[in-house]
Amino acid sequence: MNKKLKPFFLHLFIIIAVIIATYPLIRIFSVSIRPGDRIISTDLSIIPDGASFISYIKLFKETYFLRWIFNSLLITFATSFIGVSLASTAAYAFSRYRFVGKKWGLQLLLLSQMIPAGMLILPLYLMIMKLNLINTYLGMVIAYSVSSLPFSIWILKGYYDTIPHSLEEAAMVDGANELQAFYRIILPLSTPALSITFLFNFTTAWNEYLVARVVLYNPQNYTWTLGLFELQGQFITQWGMFTAGSIIITIPVLLIFLYSSKWLVSGLTLGSVKG
Amino acid sequence: MEYLFTTANVIFFVIAVLISVGLIELYFYLHFKLYDKKYYIIIPVLSLVFFGVVISFLNIYSTKILIYFAIWEMFFSYLCVRYVKGKNYLPYMLIAPAVIGLMMLLLYPFLFEIYLSFTDLKLTTIMQWKETGKLPFVGLKQYINVFKLPPLSETTFWQLFGRTLLWTFSNVFFHVLGGLLLALMLIEIKNLRGVYRMFLIIPWAMPQVVAVLSLRGEFHSEYGFVNIMIKKLIAAFPFLTQLGIGPVNWLSDHPLLTCTLINIWLGIPFMMVVILGGLQSISQSYYDAATIDGASYLQKLKYITLPLLKPVVLPAITLGTIWTFNNINIIYLVTGQAGGTERADILVSALYKAAFVYNRYSYSAAFAMIIFVILFLITTSYSKMIKVDN
Amino acid sequence: MLLTESKMKNKISFLTVVFLSIFMTSCLNNKPANDTRSIVMWEMEDAYVAPFIDEIITNFKKDYFKKHGIELNFTRAHYQTEDLRQQFQAASLAGVPPDIIISPSDTAGIYAISGFILPLDKVFDFNLYNKPVVEAITLDNKVWGIPISNGNHLMLMFNKKFIKEAPKTTDELFKFCDNNLKKYNLDYCLAFDGGEPFWLMPWLGGFGGWPLDNNKPTLNTPEMKRTLQFYHDLKFKYKYIPPECDYNCMDSLFKEGKVPFIINGDWAISSYSEQFKENFGIGLIPEISEAHRYPTPMISGRYFLLSSPISSNTEKFEIVKEFVKFYTNKENQIKQFKELKRLPALKEASMSKEVLSDPIAKVSMEQILKGKPMPMAYEMRAVWDTVRNYQGLVMTNKMSIDEATFKMQKEVERKIKEMDR
Repeated sequence: MNKKLKPFFLHLFIIIAVIIATYPLIRIFSVSIRPGDRIISTDLSIIPDGASFISYIKLFKETYFLRWIFNSLLITFATSFIGVSLASTAAYAFSRYRFVGKKWGLQLLLLSQMIPAGMLILPLYLMIMKLNLINTYLGMVIAYSVSSLPFSIWILKGYYDTIPHSLEEAAMVDGANELQAFYRIILPLSTPALSITFLFNFTTAWNEYLVARVVLYNPQNYTWTLGLFELQGQFITQWGMFTAGSIIITIPVLLIFLYSSKWLVSGLTLGSVKG
Repeated sequence: MEYLFTTANVIFFVIAVLISVGLIELYFYLHFKLYDKKYYIIIPVLSLVFFGVVISFLNIYSTKILIYFAIWEMFFSYLCVRYVKGKNYLPYMLIAPAVIGLMMLLLYPFLFEIYLSFTDLKLTTIMQWKETGKLPFVGLKQYINVFKLPPLSETTFWQLFGRTLLWTFSNVFFHVLGGLLLALMLIEIKNLRGVYRMFLIIPWAMPQVVAVLSLRGEFHSEYGFVNIMIKKLIAAFPFLTQLGIGPVNWLSDHPLLTCTLINIWLGIPFMMVVILGGLQSISQSYYDAATIDGASYLQKLKYITLPLLKPVVLPAITLGTIWTFNNINIIYLVTGQAGGTERADILVSALYKAAFVYNRYSYSAAFAMIIFVILFLITTSYSKMIKVDN
Repeated sequence: MLLTESKMKNKISFLTVVFLSIFMTSCLNNKPANDTRSIVMWEMEDAYVAPFIDEIITNFKKDYFKKHGIELNFTRAHYQTEDLRQQFQAASLAGVPPDIIISPSDTAGIYAISGFILPLDKVFDFNLYNKPVVEAITLDNKVWGIPISNGNHLMLMFNKKFIKEAPKTTDELFKFCDNNLKKYNLDYCLAFDGGEPFWLMPWLGGFGGWPLDNNKPTLNTPEMKRTLQFYHDLKFKYKYIPPECDYNCMDSLFKEGKVPFIINGDWAISSYSEQFKENFGIGLIPEISEAHRYPTPMISGRYFLLSSPISSNTEKFEIVKEFVKFYTNKENQIKQFKELKRLPALKEASMSKEVLSDPIAKVSMEQILKGKPMPMAYEMRAVWDTVRNYQGLVMTNKMSIDEATFKMQKEVERKIKEMDR
């Protein structure tokens, strides 16, 4: 294949993929501007008859939507930072040291993901009651950052494993202690993996429902996940506002992803160091 | 102003944050700097006192959870100082916060479920449980029941099991395949990569409920986009009918396939991001060397890219398997509201029906344990393949 | 260079970690609402009802303050129907249930047997309420909830653009469709949720059957077979009803004017009359011509259920009682009717001229008289679940009707046995 055609086909395929990925979002957008709270429509046009942004306005005026987003952002950022910092240190231990219980520990991480989530509702209630965590964010942040630990640790461990030991050894010869070697050599080299775990923590906490449902029951303290479900009743759902909210909710995540590209593609990849 | 915050709120918040910052920073500092000192144990004790007395005196907050952390911290430090020879307890201290957190979140529920699974908690024994705190012990009866009494009307446990395996592996396979293809293409692209990636992760970024419900609408046999496109294709190329292509009653004839398609759409972006991160870690020098040796693209893929992706991608696959195995959202959203067909149910969704529709708490706890064991077996055989300890 | 820069970055990121990690120690200090004057209420109402509930709560708080000089604190939390059931049960098991829930009657049976809610027949005078709506919340001769509204029943709604009067019989209905669908460019004749057994029950009743007889399931009956056959014909033989159509689908088709008729419940009235204005018509579900009987939609309503722990706190119990009485007094029942188009459960209010003079309420009342109370027995859960499954199999031609009804009965019996009262 010659050099001119290859980028063309690459772009073509990617654009097709982009269309497939975004099409439902477009449909959801047209639900949000469609009158009459209809999530399904027989009509495929993107801008429906009688379109208006009334749902967006109503969402901000009639609900605590801004507050929900604010709450979610707080919880999510707190979770992501804590989660990543816990995982990065723990993964370092798993990657670099031999110690009793290492194998067992890595398996334990996986085990923690195997309990079907819905079975946790009842024990969660019991725990939250005993620890006095009802209507507080503390418990949620801890629960979220811990529940995404297994993934974060595994990914980071896998990534650390690819970094040669010689780098830290060199640093230690220069007088750094073990921890300093970790902070100064390993962490900066791992930005792609760190940002993946950050993104993962972010999206998980951002979309979490189960724990939030059990812990929070004051509409002003809700996260957006709970907040949006305020709009869903037994039979009637205010789909206009619901979808409008969903679209707004997607934006912070997309921005985070866009911003993270800087880190995912940072010059600090292994190649540049080794090369 | 009710919808936002008052200035006082914000100021109070910021101050509180700053104080807290100081506290946590202090904690981290002490934890990692002084862990190897003999007097380290004093610190958790002090923090315990602090949490217990000061905060509860201020009545700001529930202190129980902080006390819990402090106690475990003490316990860990004690263990390390007492039993670990030399100065090798750095790794233990590194994993300590993670382990304490995990234990808190999961140990209790896990033990609770095991306890439930050996008892008989159901509609009629709830009162007894609430009043006496005790439940009749029934031994393995619940476990036997899981296999003996089918959880659904028309589907036996083993059918469900097979269906779950099919569901899990087809999903994970296409997630990885799709993610890999997209990541490989993205990495080749010089311009607009960030923008493309942003659009491609939309399925992951969108709230799942709306995404699934609207996609479900697209699979409607008459008004859905999918069938309308198929009809248009047939109108344009009539020979397709001879190939057996035609409109499909997705929701009523192939509910599980519909769920799978939707879930594949949802799951690809995650794998794509993970693989992209992995690709970033591969040094360009390997490729340069291979190019000099005259290797083709496929050869490079086979001998450089895939092996070097392994450490990052295999954990993601393992966890992806577990998550898909236990994924109920998509199936519930697609079929639960469409006349509740059982034909798309997998093990977990059957479990939820048993637990929540029929209130058989103990039965479902035993069911959950069996799911747990199955997953455990699958992943251990998996991790043998990927060699945890390399 | 590289190292110092990244070190700084790390410092910053570490600072940020820490920065956010504790805001939680302070941001929220709402104490758990467990003292006597904070009432927690969970509800599963449709979103358009929420402002109404909030308004009444505010009025009650004012009223209470005037009377007793005590400031009350109410927390209203919304749950989806299934969620409410799961969470309420879990919270009750854990000993932290809300004080009041608003719920339909069909889940109350399980709460009653589990002892999560209080029997109320000694506490309130239920003669004040309409009889069928109280009957739907009666189990083992005890009344378990205070009715808020009456109905929750299915009716025939139509678009007056296509037809002026509601058809009286199914033959009339289908004849209209045969003649006019093409003319008005309509897709289907009658939209309803073909997967939910709730929509099947009126027809079953119309053919003379009913899912429970004295709390024993009666599904393998000729009536059930006829009902399923009728359904099957509607879908496959005459193509009157849209395929694969759930609630959202039928709702959309009707709102888009693709179908002239829809069978929907009283909860939908306010949104349809808002959209169609004078074109919105309402009538009885037409008489089944082949059976010469009217379909019998299930009648229930919305209820206040009081969770058991509340009875041990006398002061709170008194407050809750007062609140419930206030919420269902005549004035608020009429207000509810005006704003939400829901029929009052209070006799006095349903006899008031505001209600009697309303044409929609008149039809709705008539439909209620044709209906039957929804059984509160927990056996209904097994019925819903099983019928939904086999109805689905029949309607997708995966199973014959005879086989389906036979298995339905067997499965329901098995499940009831497993629930083991």
